[in-house]
Amino acid sequence: MNTDQILIVIAISAYIASALALFTYFLSRENVAKLAGIPFAFLGCITQFVELGYRYESSKIWPLTNLYGSLSLFAAMSVAIFIGFALRYDLWFIGGFVQALAAIFLAYGLTWNEGYLPAVPALQSYWIKVHVPLVVSSYAAFMVACVTSVVYLIKYYAEQNVGRSSMVRLRTAAAGPAGAAGLQMQALAPPRPRSIIVGDAPNLERAAAGGSALAGWLASFPSLAKLDIMTYRIISVGLPLLTVGIITGAWWAKEAWGAYWQWDPKETAALFSWTVYALYMHLHTRNAWRGLRSAWLSVAGFISIMFCYLGVNIWISGLHSYKM
Amino acid sequence: MEARNAARLGADKLAERLDALLGRISDFWFGMAMLAVWGVMTLIGVVVDQGKEPAFYFTNYAPPLARLVLRLHLDNIYHSTGYVAVIGFIVACMTLATFRRVIPSRLPPLRAVKIDKIPLNASVVVDGDESDVRQRVERFFSERGWLVRKRELGGIEWTFADKFNWARKGVLIAHVGFVLIAVGTTMYWKWGFSGQTAIVAGLAQTIPETGARFQLDRFNYQIEPIRTKSGIVYQPIDYVSQLEITGHDGIKRHLTLRVNHPLDVDGTLYYQASYGSAVDFGVTKDGRPASGAPGAALLEGEGFPLGQTDRSVQYERFVGTIDRNGGVSPDPRANNPGVILTVFDGDQNIGSVLVPLGRSLDVGNGYRVDVGSYTLYSGIQYRHDPGIPLVGLGAFVLLTGLCMSFYFLPARLYVRVDPCNDSPEDRPRWSIGLAATTVKGYEIFEEQFAALVEALRHAQSGHAFQAKPSDPAFAVS
Repeated sequence: MNTDQILIVIAISAYIASALALFTYFLSRENVAKLAGIPFAFLGCITQFVELGYRYESSKIWPLTNLYGSLSLFAAMSVAIFIGFALRYDLWFIGGFVQALAAIFLAYGLTWNEGYLPAVPALQSYWIKVHVPLVVSSYAAFMVACVTSVVYLIKYYAEQNVGRSSMVRLRTAAAGPAGAAGLQMQALAPPRPRSIIVGDAPNLERAAAGGSALAGWLASFPSLAKLDIMTYRIISVGLPLLTVGIITGAWWAKEAWGAYWQWDPKETAALFSWTVYALYMHLHTRNAWRGLRSAWLSVAGFISIMFCYLGVNIWISGLHSYKM
Repeated sequence: MEARNAARLGADKLAERLDALLGRISDFWFGMAMLAVWGVMTLIGVVVDQGKEPAFYFTNYAPPLARLVLRLHLDNIYHSTGYVAVIGFIVACMTLATFRRVIPSRLPPLRAVKIDKIPLNASVVVDGDESDVRQRVERFFSERGWLVRKRELGGIEWTFADKFNWARKGVLIAHVGFVLIAVGTTMYWKWGFSGQTAIVAGLAQTIPETGARFQLDRFNYQIEPIRTKSGIVYQPIDYVSQLEITGHDGIKRHLTLRVNHPLDVDGTLYYQASYGSAVDFGVTKDGRPASGAPGAALLEGEGFPLGQTDRSVQYERFVGTIDRNGGVSPDPRANNPGVILTVFDGDQNIGSVLVPLGRSLDVGNGYRVDVGSYTLYSGIQYRHDPGIPLVGLGAFVLLTGLCMSFYFLPARLYVRVDPCNDSPEDRPRWSIGLAATTVKGYEIFEEQFAALVEALRHAQSGHAFQAKPSDPAFAVS
């Protein structure tokens, strides 16, 4: 194994170890697991950047000219952005998902690794050092946002399910003696909200108080509103990155191909994804669209990003077909 | 007089209708519907190959699908009237919504509110002289970077504190960026032009739109065979055109044109776009030169008729290396070159054949096509776009607006100081009631608001009495 391969193996191993530890933290909320997972997350991320730097230094070929290179950066940036938000907003509980996805994308990227290939003339530009990292970083941010949205959806639908089953119990009790129904109603009456964003899953909290381990686990997640705000903040990082990425890409296209927009499948798909997230930002200003609808939109946005990133690169030929 | 009244009535009705129309276009769901339509059309454009010949669709798609694509003009959807119209509606919707709905709601006037009706609200009870309390409150917010303004509304003195108020204009600025980009793009459509030309080495071309003369002295390519895990890849490394260019000033300049390094000649940019091999063809009939042979070397894709027959020959493409089995090698470099010729009988494609350079092809009726030598040619694109500076400015303005909107949270505090009903006469107590609104809802500001209320309580600790017990969210004890 050469140095390059050793570094990749270390990075993937670190991501897997971090994913296992942070999944354990996700399930158990034991701080020991979190503290075990964090160093591995750092190790994997740093190793990946070292590996990218090593590739560049040893070959003098910019490592982001093919799908392997960009997937490698995507994995590293996903973890870097996650770590940044986790440090700021204590998001470690979603780390298992992010680390696992980073490991999967990096391993998948390896299947496209054809070794050191010099860049084709169109890619021999300083813009590649600006455009590709920006766009890939935005994809990475959207992936982290998608994970927080998925956690939101899990908690939201669990809350709804518990609420529905509580209603069934309420009706059953109401059909019995009046006293029993009254007692049940009192027990199931929603507690007075302590604040806007804390305690927005009263059904789960009640079920947790009633001894349900699953509900207790779900209730221990940040509040729904907080998850929604987390997603919003991460997309607030991703969207400007994607915007600058598209603009720099357009500028580069003008230099390389003579027109800043050619309706190439990649350009069009990126514009579509941008529109989905622009829509997210617009709709998030409306009360009715915060929360559930926004979470679904974030998931839809990431699906469109994956289509733009991998679907267009692999299945659709165009000006951006740089697989190898 | 009556006529004037009727005219005014008519104008009012017209204004009313226009207002209703603008209201409809700026409607949220109208915009969403247009975006959805745009998304579907764009997706079709991504999935369906664009700008191909009808035959391409019949070859590559199922016949019903190919017919559908052609009948609905899905083969050129981005330039269809419908697509442009939808984009027009979206831009109109965004512009109208920005000015009619977003801006007014983001820049609310200073007005009295019911503090306890706003979800983010709290109150702190302090004692002291009224003017002293008011001054302390004002100082507290000013010291923390809040812009404090006082107004007397309905006989009550209100204190309004704003933070990042300027960032409320971020949305407007972002939309202005879009408008600038749209104007810049329109300038190209109106005053710009673009085109492409192919120049065979040693020959010259004059660009019709600019009059600039381009002579290709030499064209070189560099393609390297590189061993990868899945075999040898012939990777293009460089395409270089050595040109002699004569611009408006009549001075001849020797310049080098490369990919990613366009040349600016009299405000028009020239790009290295492609290359190919021009090939000389000769035609003989029964061993003697026949009419119909092309007068100059042909570029890939060009063809010529065969004398008086219905047949024609098309030079499909150049093959750099013919392998030992007589097939096409993946090596594009000219080691053992040949050409692929397609012969047509009328519109009927008879077949394609690979012919080595220096050989001839029997095309029937005594005709033979001789394949001569090749010369490299350079494909050059050119574009004059007077809108580029404006598009660049628009992109900058758009980003500025986005950053203002995303990274600064404009918040407004509504503060009023009211006497407590139960305060003793010798030691008056005051209730500082405050509520907060932001342009992004309440949840996003809740923690900051809690911290602010806590800080207010601490700042007033020498005078704090107790919190109002009825506060739902931030009861201060």
